[in-house]
Amino acid sequence: MREKRKGPIGRAAGLAEGVAATVRRMQREREPRVLVYDETGYARLVQPDGRGYERLLATAERMVELVDA
Amino acid sequence: MAGTLSPERTARRLCELSADARAAVLLDAAGAPAGYHGVAPERSGDLAQLARQLFEAVDRAHRDMPGGPPEQAEVQVDGGTVYATRTPKWTLAVVARRNALSSLMLMDLRAVLGELETGAPIRRSTAAAAAAAAVEPTEEAAAGESPVPELGIEDR
Repeated sequence: MREKRKGPIGRAAGLAEGVAATVRRMQREREPRVLVYDETGYARLVQPDGRGYERLLATAERMVELVDA
Repeated sequence: MAGTLSPERTARRLCELSADARAAVLLDAAGAPAGYHGVAPERSGDLAQLARQLFEAVDRAHRDMPGGPPEQAEVQVDGGTVYATRTPKWTLAVVARRNALSSLMLMDLRAVLGELETGAPIRRSTAAAAAAAAVEPTEEAAAGESPVPELGIEDR
């Protein structure tokens, strides 16, 4: 069955949804993220309120700054 | 053994292998720096110390998690991403560009450490298009590809 054609408002809403999803994805990609992997390659996300999270971020930031300098 | 990767060359090897790797440091089992690349010599000690601290923090974070001890870590921050991997003998940490592909970078880290530990060189493949472009086209070669080769070879 053919999909019903969207009107101008529907098309504009679809466009806005796409833009919003892109912005959300870009924000998510910019967020700091910490992952650790065990010997099998299984990844675990270190939660922002988890032990060591802040220290891991601070250490990585200093490493990046060192290379930038 | 000739061609075997040395600890001093390991960090450089990683940065050559991966276009997204900016700087790397290798630590031995005692945590002492064994090689570095991408930073000034006077800063290499600081980079090594930070790589040590990174795994200290990883071990701290791991206390709250199930599973075995982490072998690799990935920390994405504003200006880049830090990847690190360790074996009982070595720890290799790299500062990469923010948009580096995690799976590829972690695989490169493991591959370089594997080369260092076993001496087996990393197998690298060339894309078929690149391999074809590397060969200078000649009439003889073209004739060899012809389904009727004798038509392509003429007596001069």
